[in-house]
Amino acid sequence: MAKQDQSTETRAPRAARYLLSSVAAVAAVCAAATTAGAATPKNALVMAWNIDAISTFDPAQVGEVVTNEILQNTCDTLVDFDPADERRVVPLFAERWDVSPDRKEITFHLRKGAKFPSGNPVTAEDVLWSLRRVVKLNFGNAATLTEYGFTKDTVDERIVAPDANTVVFKLDKAYPTTLILQAIAANRVAAVMDMKTIMANEQNGDLGNKYLGTRTACVGPYKLTRWNAGESIVLEANEGYWGKAPALKRVLIRHVAEAGTQRLLLGQGDVDVARDLTPEDVKDLEASKDVSILKVLRPQLFFWNFNVADGPFSKEKVRLAMRYLIDYDGLGKTIMTYLGVPRASFAQLGAVGALDEKEGQPFKLDLEKAKQLLTEAGYPNGFEASLIFGTLPHSAPIAQSVQQNASKIGVKLSLERMANAQLFSKVRGREFQSAMLAWQTGVPDAHGNASRLVFNPDNRAEAKQTQYPSWRSSYQDLALNAKIDEALLEADTAKRDALYAEIQKDVMAKGPMAFMFQMYNIAGVRKDLKDWSWTGFKTYYARTSK
Amino acid sequence: MSEVAEVGSRRFASPGRKGLPSWVWATGRTIISVAVTLFGLAALTFFIGRLLPLDPVAAVLGDNATQEAYDAMYRQLGLDQPLWVQFARYVWGILHLDFGTALTTGKPVMEDIARVFPATIELASVAIIIGTGFGIPMGVLAAMYRDTWIDQLSRVVGLIGYSAPNFWLGLMGLVLFYATLGWVAGPGRIDFTYEFDLEPVTGFLLIDSAMAGNWEMFGNAFSHIILPASILAFGAFAYISRMTRSFMIEQLSQEYVVTARVKGLSWSRTVWGHAFRNIAVQVVTVVALSYAFLLEGAVLTETVFAWPGFGRYLTNALLAGDMNAVVGCTLLVGVIFVTLNLLCDLLYRVFDPRTR
Repeated sequence: MAKQDQSTETRAPRAARYLLSSVAAVAAVCAAATTAGAATPKNALVMAWNIDAISTFDPAQVGEVVTNEILQNTCDTLVDFDPADERRVVPLFAERWDVSPDRKEITFHLRKGAKFPSGNPVTAEDVLWSLRRVVKLNFGNAATLTEYGFTKDTVDERIVAPDANTVVFKLDKAYPTTLILQAIAANRVAAVMDMKTIMANEQNGDLGNKYLGTRTACVGPYKLTRWNAGESIVLEANEGYWGKAPALKRVLIRHVAEAGTQRLLLGQGDVDVARDLTPEDVKDLEASKDVSILKVLRPQLFFWNFNVADGPFSKEKVRLAMRYLIDYDGLGKTIMTYLGVPRASFAQLGAVGALDEKEGQPFKLDLEKAKQLLTEAGYPNGFEASLIFGTLPHSAPIAQSVQQNASKIGVKLSLERMANAQLFSKVRGREFQSAMLAWQTGVPDAHGNASRLVFNPDNRAEAKQTQYPSWRSSYQDLALNAKIDEALLEADTAKRDALYAEIQKDVMAKGPMAFMFQMYNIAGVRKDLKDWSWTGFKTYYARTSK
Repeated sequence: MSEVAEVGSRRFASPGRKGLPSWVWATGRTIISVAVTLFGLAALTFFIGRLLPLDPVAAVLGDNATQEAYDAMYRQLGLDQPLWVQFARYVWGILHLDFGTALTTGKPVMEDIARVFPATIELASVAIIIGTGFGIPMGVLAAMYRDTWIDQLSRVVGLIGYSAPNFWLGLMGLVLFYATLGWVAGPGRIDFTYEFDLEPVTGFLLIDSAMAGNWEMFGNAFSHIILPASILAFGAFAYISRMTRSFMIEQLSQEYVVTARVKGLSWSRTVWGHAFRNIAVQVVTVVALSYAFLLEGAVLTETVFAWPGFGRYLTNALLAGDMNAVVGCTLLVGVIFVTLNLLCDLLYRVFDPRTR
């Protein structure tokens, strides 16, 4: 053993040399094989974005923000949101439109000579077919059309094409024209699809739903040339596009789920835009000389939703008391600084008919007021309730803040975090007491949210109006229903605004949702990328240049 | 040991029942055992999936769907059928290699797995090569120079490998080697510049680019893989080196080692030529287990490095309640473990004559 010990002593340095030289050799090989991080190509827009949510490119089925954005840049709709003012609509595939005196007929005049990437000419027949298939397929997006009277039974008669370049919407009621243009004609459901190509690939009468699961077949400034699920997306400029050719020939989107990784890629110049930065990253990057932080309010609201079927939340005063437990200012200056702005009204800032910033957020943390309201509601000692929420990063800290404030007036909230799929399932089935949720409307008009978050056509459990968050909350106020109907059809803009103001104030006082924040779209953009252009409703890749 | 070897030897040497050769019986038993294991795994995952409060219909239709559309899709997905009917249909599909369609991607699960699995195999293989290449020598050296600074170093490094979270190591690695030093390429499997220059043959970028003779692309793919693979290898290295050390210490205390040394055999020949051969079987098991764990997919490493692999696919499927994808992936993990176990059994017979 003595000899072994001795040999151990003498061999140890040799072994160390062996190990160190091995490590050095591997490091040398790595370094030799390494390529330095290069700037993004001059003719391409490169983005890092979490694109996990993409599951189809069928406009009839798409619901996710990321896929919607891809479709907006690859599939022209009849009209477009004005990049300078999202409340205005401007021509896109329809070069102009006429409205009948009774507002019940809108005639779209289409551009002539346009062709799909397949070479097929774009006709009014394609427009008709595209809109009708959305209704016939009856996915969630069908509601965009059925809400305005275009049902399975009526759509063939109500959307018609008198000639190859004209499409007419025949409305069942005198809806505001701008609302119809925003809600339908600028929506993905009005994306003009290549009927011939799609129908040639139809399977079992699916109107091309499976075919469009992995590709697009439409006309727009870009065309989708590659999608590797959970990996990357490639858009290429559509050479035969009828409109102005995009400045950048390619849009490359790399799936990067981790915000910290996106930040590193952006900092190194390996991507031009990072779309999922955390508030911490944004704060740090604001000081960067290479990166700009851009943000725009989007039509998404984050709210505390109450199931008013029974228990304490069935009482209006309890719901009002809960609003005084939300520290709008404190949260707005801390957790939500780069995520959103305080907003207590269901109508998002920027929408037609929305209350202004001050009137639309009259609440502040006031424990005494909350306690007084609880006492008036018959709960002087508070109560116990549950609060569920999903995986949105800000849900947990906001829920904890509310829980902490509630405990000070005797309300014990038990918090439960769960996967989003589980959360939605519970809320959809009315199996919750209260929940933290988000909702995004498709139109810059107060009606967008009023029609879903407040209006409830049938509150019976068996009615299963699951597409209405108001139904999910077991909330129905017939007077508000009537007022929403009245506001919808009011021709006088001032009167319409006044009606929506009343509805918003009513809902803030007694509605089933305590709205808390309107969210931002936020992106880190390299300074050598020019003219990044977006509104809350659309991002315009074709306007971007380098 | 001798008794076990004798039993083993008898079992493999004796003729089987009804005069069939024993290897036929052994193979038959193995196939039945594998089939029962996989069936049990499929059943367990399937029924747990159906019991979870997740809504696959909402995942397909979106949040705005009417109840009419919801009910129609519910029927279309076969969810209105009794559970046993759903399971029977599922098993029938599996037997035809049809795992259904993934709700999260809209593509057949088999197609998805075929797309994401090569990325994970490539990453895991490079990681296990690094982990084994460093882990075994480190373990042997630590045993040879027990209680010296080399042993202490191996312990400290091993401890860090065991305890440091891969997520943190990954981010720190990126900050240091990618963002600060610029020694390695950033997240992803390859730069966008190269992504469209190569038609995948095997799905392994290193192999495909080498086969195509595109060494620039090979270098780029290598510089992308080396950091995540090294981070993953760190954990495998810790496990392999600690286990190797422990096996080797036991061998070095055996009398045959002293005898060999007394007879004048060099220290390295004694260790590598005799002692190591005796621990090879155990080391193979350890390496195989490490590899199996790596193949399951390192979710966090794949997330940090934007690596489009199997672990992240499975996690996304789980969070979205995409049970077709979850069951398909679970079965694949089962197949990996079973296959590697079988491989270990085979290697036992190669390395250990007593088991033949």
